[in-house]
Amino acid sequence: MPSLKVLSKKEDLLSSGQRLCPGCAASIIARQTLLASEKPVVVVCPTGCLEVATTIYPFTAWKTPFIHCAFENAASTLSGVEAAYRSLKRQGRIDKEFNFIAFGGDGGTYDIGIQALSGAVERGHHLLYICYDNEAYMNCLSTSSLIMTEDGLKRIMEVKEGDQIYAFDQKTYQLVLKKCTGVFDNGIKDVYELTTLHHSIKATANHPFLVLKRNGRGKENNFVWKTISEMKPGDEIVVLKNLDKGKSFKFDFNKVKRGDYKVNRLNEIDLPEYSSPDLMKYLGIYVGDGWVRDGKGEVGFALPENSKGRNVLLELHSKIFGGKTRTNKIYVYTNSVNLARFIESLGFGSGAKNKIIPSWLFTLPIEERKSFIEGLMLSDGYKAGNSLRYVSASYELLRGLRLLLQTTGFRVGKVHQQRKEKGTKCVDRELLETSEYGYVCFSERGEWNTGKYPSQYRYQNFLMDNEYFEMKEVREIKLVGQEPTLDLRVEGEHNFIADGIVVHNTGIQRSSASPRGAATTTSPAGRAIPEGKQEYRKDLTQIMAAHNSPYVAQASPGYYNDLMKKVQKALSVEGPTFINILSPCPRGWRYDPSRTIEIAKLAVLTGFWPLYEVENGKYRITYKPKKKRKPFVEWLKSQGRFKHLLKEENREIVEQLGKRAEEKEKALYALAGEEFS
Amino acid sequence: MGKIVGLTGDETAAEAMRQINPDVVAAYPITPQTETVQRFSEFVADGEVSTEMIRVESEHSAMSACVGASAAGARAMTATSANGLALMWEIVYIASSCRLPITMFVVNRALSAPINIHCDHSDSMGARDAGWIQIYSEDCQEIYDNVIQALRIGENKEVLLPVMITFDGFIISHCTERVELLEDEEVRDFIGKYKNSYSLLDVDNPVTYGPLDLFDYYFEHKRQQIEAMEKAPPVIQRVGEEFGKLSGRNYSLMEEYKTEDANFIVLAAGSAAGTVKAAVEELREEGVKAGLLKIRVFRPFPVGKICQVLRKAEAVAILDRSASFGAQGGPIFLEVRSALFEEERRVPVVNYIYGLGGRDISIQQIKGVYRNLQKIADTGKVEKLVDFVGLRE
Repeated sequence: MPSLKVLSKKEDLLSSGQRLCPGCAASIIARQTLLASEKPVVVVCPTGCLEVATTIYPFTAWKTPFIHCAFENAASTLSGVEAAYRSLKRQGRIDKEFNFIAFGGDGGTYDIGIQALSGAVERGHHLLYICYDNEAYMNCLSTSSLIMTEDGLKRIMEVKEGDQIYAFDQKTYQLVLKKCTGVFDNGIKDVYELTTLHHSIKATANHPFLVLKRNGRGKENNFVWKTISEMKPGDEIVVLKNLDKGKSFKFDFNKVKRGDYKVNRLNEIDLPEYSSPDLMKYLGIYVGDGWVRDGKGEVGFALPENSKGRNVLLELHSKIFGGKTRTNKIYVYTNSVNLARFIESLGFGSGAKNKIIPSWLFTLPIEERKSFIEGLMLSDGYKAGNSLRYVSASYELLRGLRLLLQTTGFRVGKVHQQRKEKGTKCVDRELLETSEYGYVCFSERGEWNTGKYPSQYRYQNFLMDNEYFEMKEVREIKLVGQEPTLDLRVEGEHNFIADGIVVHNTGIQRSSASPRGAATTTSPAGRAIPEGKQEYRKDLTQIMAAHNSPYVAQASPGYYNDLMKKVQKALSVEGPTFINILSPCPRGWRYDPSRTIEIAKLAVLTGFWPLYEVENGKYRITYKPKKKRKPFVEWLKSQGRFKHLLKEENREIVEQLGKRAEEKEKALYALAGEEFS
Repeated sequence: MGKIVGLTGDETAAEAMRQINPDVVAAYPITPQTETVQRFSEFVADGEVSTEMIRVESEHSAMSACVGASAAGARAMTATSANGLALMWEIVYIASSCRLPITMFVVNRALSAPINIHCDHSDSMGARDAGWIQIYSEDCQEIYDNVIQALRIGENKEVLLPVMITFDGFIISHCTERVELLEDEEVRDFIGKYKNSYSLLDVDNPVTYGPLDLFDYYFEHKRQQIEAMEKAPPVIQRVGEEFGKLSGRNYSLMEEYKTEDANFIVLAAGSAAGTVKAAVEELREEGVKAGLLKIRVFRPFPVGKICQVLRKAEAVAILDRSASFGAQGGPIFLEVRSALFEEERRVPVVNYIYGLGGRDISIQQIKGVYRNLQKIADTGKVEKLVDFVGLRE
């Protein structure tokens, strides 16, 4: 096989810019496979992640002929293409040589597509079928959604089972706290953006929202759950108006003491134990104009001499921290290791583009939140007409601010984004690099004179007197593309507040490739069935070997050399060949996307996914972990989908799983005539 | 000029396929289509065709393989019946939506349940909205003539749609009739070689078939399919005339049989049209001005032509060999009646459902239909809009 250096110069037939998730192994597998082919390739994909993420009309990521037909028929479609090739070749109407490769997911291969695969292999077409096996069928919210919890605003990805989540009580219409009973990964889906004048949320078409049903004059109105696909502009949905349940935040910061390692100069300073309006205003200015240099123990602010922010800051500084500050024409500095580390521990992020609003801010009393906003406005805010505007290079900061404003009694517009290309003029100067920034506009919420025409107001806003919630009209619903999605389950009320909007729980489904013990939405881990999926996975590689195909193999993208060699072998033999490739899925298996290759290797090293081939009926183990073999439980520990198995009550199941994997691997070694060690 | 032979419907279909010599045939056996595939397999085994024959494991795979083959630039054909067509349903739509000119014989058979192997049109009528051109054949000769024309129609660059050639299971498929064949060369010259402009085997110009297509484009693509159907009738007419020059047998969207001066017209598709012709003959001898309008092309539906013929009639009956449960009547009836809505003079139109599950229809029964039309014309009253022929109540 050519070296990496040579391979890296070969053209990628699956181009970048496709819409698969970061860390998705399917594209890695497809690219490794395509690199291994020396002849031109015709690719067939059944319906699935790889297909929908690489072809969305009018775009395609495939620089080689490609066809998608349906979910269950990649093998038969490809057999048609291959038969056409043989026919045209025999008639002398075509002279090129081709390889024919199908990439099917496990759903389209193990389950609904097995008949077509079995038929194509039995018929002996010269094709290679690759199953990228991610072990499940993967409704739901975009992973970018922000959820209101007792501990503040959290990204949906950070919410854990057991967290207390704010929900809408459908009887009393009040704000209540409910326990989260599960977080589910739902894979990449078409995602729609629903917008009101002041809110926006991304969700899948089947995600339900709480919609007001008007029953006509003189009759009681009520709420109904409607999915995005059933909703239309003009529908009124329930949104969060205010979250005044806050209390001052207790900081958990350990001061650095004199004599600590590497700290030779310590400017003593008073650090507050609890948050306060003054501190929040100070931090507001910090988020806009401040920086921290931890190494130097320096906190700095870009506040020029006669800016109004400078005086406020200096006053606040001496009031809260005491201690000295240094100033020059442009900057204000404080040198204090403790202050620098304290501010850094608060989680505002560093660098203008990476600033965020940390979740604890949402738990503060309203006046502290208002002070923070005042501080922010003193830095990068200004008045534009009747409204206020805040500018930032950090999109995440603006998104967080928008929700903070919404729950602090302001009216907020959408996050506007602008991009200035390098070389364009900005304030009479040429930009040296392309810059992106955004802004939000907001204003104080006006009070309604509801006493004057109470029934009319109540008609306009069904939740007029409600302290926490109000009604908003849906302005637009549009498809915004494909994104990774997650879903939460909340006990009792079965709803939660995402991006300020009340939404319903929804429901990764098991496939015959899901391993025993994996939690999916159709095989969850519960009180009666604590293990999740109770059945062992179908051993498709063995089923395909039983078809007497000249070459069947099992591979992992963690061992690219082995994988590509197997592809080359498969393509070099006449007849139908099959390679089952484990395809780690960060969303479905619940692990950090950076760990895909590590997980792909771990599967082999723990004996979950042995690498082997069956060439004309002869078994061969292509990679033996030997001394590096790792305990099976490491495999379970590496992914969130097995988390429940690590509880004491599932100890026996974990033992069984380990034993089963070892038995299977031993049997393979026996077939290959090798000693298992 | 070719020769005259005696062939069953299935054998005729296979013989036509031999002469067409398609690049790929993918098929799965089902009664009453089986003999077509069997006979063609013999041609493959004897090397009489250069076809790559895929003996798939299901009809779903048959149509899938045809889609793959056609996209790869091959002329692909298949044949099926009833439940087989139902199983390939999903891919039937995909074939037409990918604009792949596949040719398929549908040997009409009743859909299950209860299971029945005999003829009615519930299978192909169910697929009437699938985006395929549908041509119904009355007898063996028409099977032969229709399929040869089908290639020219479907592969026309203005059309690019798959074509379904149907004929009645057992009644035609297993009945030996006189068939005039063209010479192999004549057929091959007439159909020419197929060239797909966007082939999967053109690696220098790689194409992507079947991308994800959401609400920003899907609608426009469906509009293009509608347009392709709208462009088909003149092509069908032209090809029919050209075929007439070659064979002496002219074809149009429909066949008019003594409709010129007819007071009473019956519409029918498939083999029953032959029985209606016999009834018309007898009635004419009795002095009744009876006529038949035979539906040859049901998709695209020839609205203008039908109105032209029917507007002069005193009463019209439509024979439907399938039921559309819960609808006002059978599928052909619904289309014809709706077509006549724009006519200034209201022609009474009634519907007769007949022959479900292969039940025979006789000349006498059809004459009964004409007599009812006469009654409607005399009294000006329609007693039953939809009725059944040959049914035990």
